[in-house]
Order: sequence, then C-alpha cells, then structure tokens
Amino acid sequence: MLIRKLLRDIAENKMAYLACVIVIIIGLMTYTAMQMARDNLFIARDQFYEEFHLADGFARVKAIPFTQVEKLQEIPGIDLVQGRLVQDVRVINLDQDKNIYLRLISLADHRPYQLNGVKLLQGSFPGDYERGILPADKFFTAHRLSLGSTISVIIEGKKIDLKITGTGQSPEYVYAIRDMGNIFPDPQTFEVAYIPYGVMESLFNYKGMVNDITFTLKPGYKFEDVEQELKTELEKYGLESLVARKDQASNAMLAEELKGLAKTSTSVPILFLSIAAIILYIMLKRLVESQRGQIGTLMAFGYRPVEILRHYLAYGLLVGLAGGILGGLLGTALSIYMTRMYQDFFSLPDLAGRFSLKYFLAGIFLAVGFSLAAAFQGAKSILTLRPVEALRPPVPVFSKKSWLEIIPGFRAIFTVPGRMAIRNMVRNKGRSFFTFIGIIFTFSTMASIWSMYSMMDIMVLDQFTKVQKYDLKIAFNRPLPLNEVVRELQNNGGIKRVEPLLEAPVTLKNRHLSVEVMALGLMPDAELYTPVDTHGKQIQIPGEGMLLSEQVARKLNAKAGDELRLESIWAKESPVYVHVVAIIPQYLGTNVYMNQEALLKLLQQGQVATAALIAMDKEKIPALKVKYSTSKYISTLEERQQIIDLYNNLMGSSKQMLWIMVLLAAFAGFAIVYNSSIITLSERKRELASLRVLGMRPGEVLEVIAVEQWFIGMLGILAGIPLAYAINKGIASSMSSDLYSLPAITTPPALLLALLGTMLAIWLAQRWVARKVASLDLVDVLKERE
Amino acid sequence: MDLILKARNLTKYYQMGEVRVEALKDVSFDIFPGEFIVVLGPSGSGKSTLLNLIGGMDVASSGEIYYRDKPLHNAPEKVLTGYRRDAVGFVFQFYNLMPNLTAYENVMLAVEIAKKPLPAVEMLEQVGLADRADHFPAQLSGGEQQRVAIARAVAKNPEILLCDEPTGALDSSTGIQVLKVLKDFNRHYKKTVIIITHNAAIAQIADRIFYLKDGRLDRIVNVTNPVSPEEVSW
Repeated sequence: MLIRKLLRDIAENKMAYLACVIVIIIGLMTYTAMQMARDNLFIARDQFYEEFHLADGFARVKAIPFTQVEKLQEIPGIDLVQGRLVQDVRVINLDQDKNIYLRLISLADHRPYQLNGVKLLQGSFPGDYERGILPADKFFTAHRLSLGSTISVIIEGKKIDLKITGTGQSPEYVYAIRDMGNIFPDPQTFEVAYIPYGVMESLFNYKGMVNDITFTLKPGYKFEDVEQELKTELEKYGLESLVARKDQASNAMLAEELKGLAKTSTSVPILFLSIAAIILYIMLKRLVESQRGQIGTLMAFGYRPVEILRHYLAYGLLVGLAGGILGGLLGTALSIYMTRMYQDFFSLPDLAGRFSLKYFLAGIFLAVGFSLAAAFQGAKSILTLRPVEALRPPVPVFSKKSWLEIIPGFRAIFTVPGRMAIRNMVRNKGRSFFTFIGIIFTFSTMASIWSMYSMMDIMVLDQFTKVQKYDLKIAFNRPLPLNEVVRELQNNGGIKRVEPLLEAPVTLKNRHLSVEVMALGLMPDAELYTPVDTHGKQIQIPGEGMLLSEQVARKLNAKAGDELRLESIWAKESPVYVHVVAIIPQYLGTNVYMNQEALLKLLQQGQVATAALIAMDKEKIPALKVKYSTSKYISTLEERQQIIDLYNNLMGSSKQMLWIMVLLAAFAGFAIVYNSSIITLSERKRELASLRVLGMRPGEVLEVIAVEQWFIGMLGILAGIPLAYAINKGIASSMSSDLYSLPAITTPPALLLALLGTMLAIWLAQRWVARKVASLDLVDVLKERE
Repeated sequence: MDLILKARNLTKYYQMGEVRVEALKDVSFDIFPGEFIVVLGPSGSGKSTLLNLIGGMDVASSGEIYYRDKPLHNAPEKVLTGYRRDAVGFVFQFYNLMPNLTAYENVMLAVEIAKKPLPAVEMLEQVGLADRADHFPAQLSGGEQQRVAIARAVAKNPEILLCDEPTGALDSSTGIQVLKVLKDFNRHYKKTVIIITHNAAIAQIADRIFYLKDGRLDRIVNVTNPVSPEEVSW
C-alpha cells in the first residue's frame, strides 16, 4: 500500500519530481555519452595504431640515402627504421578559390611490415611506377572526387597529373593538420595522399634518397634513450625535426582530445547529479516534514522506523532509476551522435558508436546512489522521531524579526507579504542555502559559457585583426634574397605593401628545459604582423633580444632578462645565446619574435626571407595567386580571410554545444527555484489561503513566495560573479595547450546575459507557481486540519 | 483471569524549559481481557498522556506498566514498535487516514504488517462501508472516515483497541454509529477496548469507568448495567 501512496504522492507533485528526473537525465546523459564516446575513440585508436603500426619516432632531414637509413638500426634501442619521401604540394585543378595542399607520402614497395601503414578504404594501391595517387578519404569526399579522376599538382614548378586509384588512411594522419600552427583539420584545403616511391623519387629528383624517417623502439627503450645519438647521426643529413610519437601532431591532438573528454566526462555529470541530489534532498526533507502526521500514524500502528524510512527512500530510488535509465538510453543515442561528430575530425576507420552495458549500468548505479543518498539525508530524521512527537504538530518556530530587518530602512522596502517572505527565508536557512547554491550554479555557468564565446572570438579575431593583418602570405620553399623578393612582389598590380618575414625553426633552452618553436624575424617597422599585449596594444619589436609568447615562457620557466641558449639547423654556428626582453600573450600558435636583422645576424645568415606578407586589393588576389601558383620557389599561399572563415566555421559547432550547456544551466536553475517555491507553497498553503480570504489577489499572495526567491536569486547572482571569473580562469588554463591559449576573460555582456538568463529561469519558475497559487481551493485548504 | 494490562504508580512529567509539568501522577490500575473501559476526564487531566503510555507511544518517567507480564516502562523503542504492531490498534480523534490512499487501501496498510489480520473487506463491511471502499478520505464524511479508521485498527486483530476521543469530531448520531462498531468489536471478538474521552455520556456504555482528574486516577467505577450505544445521547 505504501507503494501506492508513493506513486500518488509523486503524481501530485509531478512537475517537481519531473524536474529532478530531468536534471538527473542531463547528468547521466552527459556521463554515458562522453564515457562511451571516449571508449569508442580509445578502442578505434588503439586498434588502428596496433594494426597499422604507428611509429614511435619521426625525423625529417633534407635528404639521406636509403643505405644510410638502414644503418640507423644499429643504434641501440632502435628496432625498425624506414625511410620515405614526404613533400607538400599544391593542388591546382580542384577548387580555384582555395589554396589546396596535399602532403605526398611515398608508399614503400612491398615491405612486409610497414610502419604507418596505409589502410585501403576504396579502390586499389597504385602500381609501383604508375602515376597514381591514394588520397585520404576525407579529401576524396570533401572534393567529391571519383576513382580514376585526376589530381593536378605543382611539383618543381611543373604541373603533374596524378590518377586517383583509391583512398587510404594511415594512423599517422588521423587528425590531419599541416603543422602545429593549425588547430583544426580542413580536408578541403589540406590532407595527405600516398604515391609510389618510384614515382615520387623521380618527380622530386631524390635518386635513392628519402627525406623522412620513421622508426620504432625496442621494448624497454624510451624515445629519450635514442634521441641524442639519432640527432648526431642525422645532423649531417640536414636534420630539420625529430619528434616522439607523443609530440607527433595528429597523435598529440587525439591524445589531447581524449584527455579533455576524460576530464569533462566525470566533472559535468557530477555537477548535474549534485544539483539533482540537492533538489531531491529539499523535496524529501519537506515531504517528511509535511507528512509528520502520517508518519506518526504509521508508527502508532506499528510500522518500524526503518520501514517508513525505506518508504521515503523509495522516492529517491524511483527518481534515480527513472533518471538513470532514461539518461542512459539518451546518453547512448548521444554517444552515437558524438562519435559521428568525432568522425568528422578524426579519421579512424574503426570508429563506430557502440552501446556499452558497462556505462549504462554504471550510470544507473551512479544516479540511484546519488538519489538514495539525497533521499536518506532528507528523510533520516524519521529514525529519531518518536511516535508521540510525530503525531504532535511540529513546535511552531519561534519567529522573531529577521536579522535583515535590523538594517535601517530595510522594512520600508517590503510590503507585508514581502516581509513574510524575508522571515521565511531566514527561518528556512537550509532550503534558502540550496536555492542560493542553485542560482550560483546557473548564473556562473551561463556567465562563463558566454564568456567562453567571447574568449573564442578574441582568440581568433585578435590574432587575425590585430596581429596578423596581411591579406596574403606567401611562403617560400627555401630562403630567398630579401630585397629581390620584395621588389619582385611589389611589381604586381594592387599591392599596397610587402614585408619580408623570416621564419626559422629554433630550439630554445633554459637550463634543463627546452622547447622547439618557430622564431619569427619581423621588420622593425612591420605593419602586417604586429604582436600585441593583453590590452591589444601594439608591442614594439626590440632591436636586440627576443620576445617570448606566454606558452613558451611557461615551458622554459623563463622571464624577462633571462638568457636562453638557441640552437637552429639554420644557424651557421650553434649554439648561440639570446636574452629575453619581454613575455607577450599569443592566443593562436606559439612563437618567439625578434627583430629581423637581429635574427639574421644571430643565425649568421645573409639578407634572406622565408615568406612575404602582403597587403593588397582584395580583387587582385586571384590574379596574383594564378601568377605564382606554379612557381617552384613558393610552397604555400595563405589568404587570411580563408583562415578566419575556417575558424569561424569550425567554432560554429562548438558554439552550438555552448548553447546547449546554457539551456541546461537555465533548466537546472528553473528546477531548483520551482521546487523550492512549490515547497514553500505547500508548507504555507493555509497561510496563503488565509491571505486570499482576507482579500488579497493571487499576485499579491504570490509575492510571499516570489520575494523570497528573487531575494535569494539576487544574492546568488552576486556570489556567482566572482565564481564565474574563477571558472573562466580555470577553463582558460585547462583548455590552453601548446598550440593555443584561451584568454581568461569575463566580459560585461556575458555577465549581463547570464543575469538575464538567470532571471528568466526564476521568472518562469514563478509563472508555474503562480498557476498553482491561482488554483488554491480556499475552502478546501482552510478546512484541512493543520 | 490473566491481566492484559497492569499499571503501578505511573508518573509522567514534561520538562518545559524551567517548568516541570506533571501530566500523570501515581496512576495504578489493572485491565482484563475483553473489558470495555472508558477513561473519562476534562482536558488537561492527563488522558492523552495515559493513552500514549498504554499505547507504547511514549515511556513513563517513573512507575511500571506491563502488557501480559511484559514490561513496557523500560522497553526499548524496538520492543514498543513490536507491541504496537502486534497488540494495539489505534483510533484517533482526527482519523489520521493516509489522504492519498482509498478506504480499502488504508485498511490494507494495517493488514500488511499484521501477524493474524482479519480480512479487510469484511472489516469495511462491519463498519458499513463496503460500498465506499474505493473512495479517498476526502470523499468521505467525518463519520465514514472514523469508521474506516476503526476498520483499519481492527483489521490488525489487536488485543487492545485504543481510541482517543473517537467521537470528538463527530455529531451525536454519527458518534453513536461509531460507538456501536466499537462495542460490536468488543463483543464479537472478545477484545479489550479502551476509549479516552471527555464526554461523560459515552461512559455509560463501558464495563468500567476510570475518572482522571489533574493527572491522578481519581476513582474507578464498575458499571453494573452498561447501556447500549443507541441509548446514549449528548
């Protein structure tokens, strides 16, 4: 019979319980979805890496004969070494508006054990000397290509046609970005493609040579164990980079994503489950209080306290089960959606959405556990209640004026119902506190999410409107004489300004700390590339010394005035020393900056540049691109607007997620305020009905409840402001990586929006309660015995 | 004959701040199985306190009380719960029905925890409410609600039926109906019924009347010729 009582009790207050269940569903949904998506990613990654042998280390050199590559196997710790050719080329026959690049990677001829093997997804591998190409599937799809069609690329200034024989994917380019400077993959403009070694060798003129080495380590060896010897060995072949698997771009990005997913998949659900637990706790505490008489009756005719407690725990159990099961099911559906989203970013052939009973059950356990704990906290007073006490109505609380009313003028602000509300609030400290917590949560979540919105905008916009102001950047294949390049480019139509840029890969060391980074040599009067400080003010490039971006400074634990050791394959003499002038913010990418002259002098190089920055008429850009697209001196043409578009595009989907989070936060706020109001309403039904009988309108009666909620709400919002700042700091530092950093910014518009959002949640909750107030049956309520 | 309840020098006081209120002083009595007792006294005479002690809802400050030789005065809450569960049926002045359970379900609530329950439907028939079994308390009149409460108390088949002002909230004719049900139970099942009331008229139907005054058991009167409930009037 108690079960029926339970079900009817719940039915009577279905909105309140529903709100609680929904909050649990949200928590559980995020939990199962993220856990399952994470597992899917893990499984797909491990399987792919394992099956297609991702290498443990990657080295890039200018050129090294095959015969020498094999010798590297003699280095202790190195297991297997394989050489190959890797070269970025421009594609010219696809989308004319875009600069499209393919990274050509040579396919080894029939080695039994292929490092970074290629999984054939469509068609077939090209024959050994066939001018065939196997682009990544994403590139193939993005450009709506078909098997047998031709891709034209520029190699050594010549147009070469390559026939598509199929598509393939290797574990090395699961997340295909050109270099660490790009955060997001864009299969429209960059992907990898595989081509027979024999073809590539002759096209690029690398007779019997390779320029890229990958290797695996013997069990028990670490990358660091072989790094030094390998470096020494490869330096004579013009070593350009040597990275471990963990720093390899694609793998690093994937690992970063998995790490983030693991973090959020526990914190977000716990947050929502805690909110649900709070709601349930308040509700059950109130239920037990209001059913004191019923509890007393049950005790009087012999129900054991434990049996009664079990009855009230069943409310929690039911809510937990409902939320857990529904949340688990919805979470599974969401995980499939999320996995599909990940497929857009990560090319993992085995990535598929799977249902995991483990997380489904774990989720239900979690939900039920939280709910039972909350219910127990709310109902445990039964255990100590004696039947006589239970049957007696609770001793009226000694009501005095609240401490708030001591404040001079305070009374004058509120009407009599308002004063009732304030006293009620002070009296029910526990419940007021939880409402307060709920509001803080709602407000600060909204504020930080909206701030994140601006953070992302600032990250991109600052970089591309304040720092990188060029319209077009032309990067060269090799350093070119500075003055000639500028002169050549200036002779084109529509050019407003040309600035040479020097980009030199360097290794900076501060004691035992070291970092590999791109040093940018800027002209002292540069206008097209101008680093800015936190306030967006342009920073003067010093004549001597170096500016470090915050990330680099952090990694080197360096501060202004420190002297760093600099090594570079470009330097005639290595190492050299350079001192730090200042630390500056950089949101996108990580660089260090120097005066161009000073950098050239440091490297003992003549007047050369590796790229040119150009400001020009937008209409003239296509013509310029056509003119230089086949030039053998030019490696890439980068249009700033395209990059901005790409970022905005990609951030669009992140922003959608943010909106969902905002809605969830608003709902949690609504649920808490609604529940807390409903409780006040049922507790004070008699009082409120009496007010109605006295002639007050429903709106005036509602005020008794509303003033309380608004007052707590405003306090919560105030307390939420510093919390929002703290959360943003946390988000900024936890989301910042080697590749980019988010500015920790809490903007006034974000605070304002959060304020409005929170107020809307409170207001909506009040509207629902208002309907209940209006439908109070006065006769019935007053007839009821207290 | 074995006693069903035995009380010796029962005393109960409440500490209210600095004031000690003596609710019950030195009360002693014996009650036999199958007796119909009315405890009569004005408000404040200690009636409810006595009921709470007899019903195992509260423990005495001093003195002794036994149910069939088992002490209740020093029994732990667990034992008292068992006593209430198996031996006592309560009828309250304000019925105390579960508002969201029907009449039948309210009775079943008691049946479910009883060792030798009586059939719920039969009990509702006995109180004349078989046709109202599916109604919720709010759909029943006061008298009907009290009869459901009695059915609920009786359905457990308790040794003692304890009634706290069972007619207090009812008009006289409904009250008489309720008394009739109680009397029938007493006769039919040979179970002890103890009614606590301030209504002297009711006392006429009892076998014995306990007069309470200022927390003391003033006197006990044996009624030689108890009247039937129908003859009572107030």
